[in-house]
Amino acid sequence: MNRVAIAGVGYSTVGRNTGLTAAELATQAAKAAMEDSGLTPEDIDGLCSYCTSGSRATENAMSLGWMLGLMPASWVATTGLESAAFMHPALEAMAAVQAGLCDTCLVLRVIQQQPSTPVVLATAASSPPVAGDAQFLAPFGAGSPTQWAALRTQLYMDAYGATEEQFGAQVITQRGHAVLNEDALFRTPLTLDEYLASRYISKPLRLLDCDYPCDSGSAIIVTTRERAADCRKPPVYVEAAAFSAIQDLNFEILTDTGPSSPKLCSDRLWARTDLGPSDVDCAQLYDGFTIITMEWLEALGFCGPGEAGPFVEAGHTALGRSLPVNTDGGACNVGRRHGANFCIEATRQLRGESGERQVPGAEVSIFTNAFGPFAGAVLLTK
Amino acid sequence: MNTTTLFGNSSAVIPPRPAEDSLTAFFWQGARDGKLLIHRCRQCQSYIHWPRPVCRFCLATDLSPAEVSGRGRLHTYTSATQAFHPYFLERVPYIIATVELEEQPGLMMVSNLVGVEPMAVQPNMLVEVLYREVAPGLTLPLFEPATTRRGGDR
Ligand SMILES: [Zn+2]
Repeated sequence: MNRVAIAGVGYSTVGRNTGLTAAELATQAAKAAMEDSGLTPEDIDGLCSYCTSGSRATENAMSLGWMLGLMPASWVATTGLESAAFMHPALEAMAAVQAGLCDTCLVLRVIQQQPSTPVVLATAASSPPVAGDAQFLAPFGAGSPTQWAALRTQLYMDAYGATEEQFGAQVITQRGHAVLNEDALFRTPLTLDEYLASRYISKPLRLLDCDYPCDSGSAIIVTTRERAADCRKPPVYVEAAAFSAIQDLNFEILTDTGPSSPKLCSDRLWARTDLGPSDVDCAQLYDGFTIITMEWLEALGFCGPGEAGPFVEAGHTALGRSLPVNTDGGACNVGRRHGANFCIEATRQLRGESGERQVPGAEVSIFTNAFGPFAGAVLLTK
Repeated sequence: MNTTTLFGNSSAVIPPRPAEDSLTAFFWQGARDGKLLIHRCRQCQSYIHWPRPVCRFCLATDLSPAEVSGRGRLHTYTSATQAFHPYFLERVPYIIATVELEEQPGLMMVSNLVGVEPMAVQPNMLVEVLYREVAPGLTLPLFEPATTRRGGDR
C-alpha cells in the first residue's frame, strides 16, 4: 500500500432515533469527510459503500455516487451485508487507489439502529420458514450475533481460564476513554460491580459486552500520497493492510482446526511491513463484542495466546499505559459504527486531533475489523 | 428443571421452522425417523455439514446422506437468556451448543444441549443425540450428556 493515504474523515449526526434516513446519514458523513480534507466532489473519482438501509438509493455505490455528485467516477464498489463491516469497503478503496483504478475514493458506511426487541419478536412470529443455512440454527433458537459471540467467549474462557472480571476490565477501560471523548454516547465512568450487574444476553456475554445500536454514517477519503500532501489535514499513510478468510460465512461452527482469522491476518500484516507490534502507539481493535478485542490483542502479538485477560486486567490497554486500546471508547460507547470509528480514531490520533484522549506523539496506529470467518487489519503511520 | 423440559411444553407459539429444500430435506426427514443424517462424499468419504452440492475436499459432486453415530464432543456452549423469537420466550434459559461429531475432526453442528443444568456443563464433555418432536412434522436432533446406555462402544 505504498501509494495510499487517508485524507479525510467524518461522521454524520450519531445517536438513537435520529429520525435521519440512510441517505441523509450518508450525505452528512460524506460532506463532513470532504470538509475535513478540503476536497470537493470534483476531486473524488471513486466510491466504495456499505449501507444496510433496505433503501435502494443508499444501498448501492452507483446511486450514492450520483446522489453526491461524484459522477462520472472511475471506480465504484458496493459491499453487502455478508462482509467484514467497514473493513471491506475501506480495503476495496485502498486497493483501488493502490492499483490506479481511481485516485481519490470516498468510503461510506451507514448503519441504522436496529428494531427494538418487541419488534424483533413480532416480526419473527410471522416469519416464513427459515431458508438456507439459517434453517440449521433458527429451530434451535440460535443465530443471533450475541449468541455466537457468547459461544466464542465461552470457548476462550474454557481454553485459557479467562474470567468475567477480565472481560469487565476491558469494558471499564474503554468507558474511561469515552469519558474523555465528547462524541461518545456513554461518558459516565463504569465500575466492575456495574459490569458484573449488567444482565446476560447469552451467558457469559453481558449487555455491556455489546456495541450500542444507533444511527450512524461514517466516511473516509482515501487518495494517493501525493494528493494527500496537498489536502487540508496532515496525511495519514497506509503502511500495510491484510485480510484473512478461513471458512464459510458463519460464526457458530468455527472448527478450531487451524489458526484463527485474526491470527492469519496479523501474520500477513506484519510480513508486509518493517514495523512490529512494539511500534504501535495505540490500537483500535473492533469491539462489536469484547471477545473480539481480546482475540485481536493476542493475534497481533501485543500479548501471548491466552494472555489478553491478564493483560487488560493489569491496565495495559488504558490511556497512559503501554498500549492504549480503543481510545475513542470503542463502539460500546461511541455507538455502532460498524468498525468505521476505529479507522477514524486511528487517523485522528496520528494527526494529533484526539483532544483529551490524545496519545502523546502517536506515530503508528492500527485498526481492525471482524473475527471468526474473516478478519482485516490496517496499519497506519503519520 | 428448565433444561430437561426444554421444548417439552405445548405452546400456542410455533417454533421457527426450516424451509426444507432439495439439499436439506434429508436432514429433517432423518430427524423425524430418529436418525442423524449428514451429507457425505462418496469419493473421499468426507462429511459435509451444512449440506452442499460439492465436496470441498475433493470437489466431487457425488454426495449422499449418511447416518452417523450421533455421538460427539461438546465444542462450546452458551446459556441463552434472551429470546429472539417468541417461541423461546418461555424457554429461556436454554443451552445452545456446538458439537463436534465423532466421525470427523471439525465436523460441527449447532443444536441444544438438554438434560444438564448450565452450571454442570463441562467443556469437551461427551454428548449424544436424542430426538424431540417440537411441533407436528418438526423433530429436532438435540444432544444430552453421553451415557453408557448405548453400549459404550466408542
Ligand atoms: Zn470428497
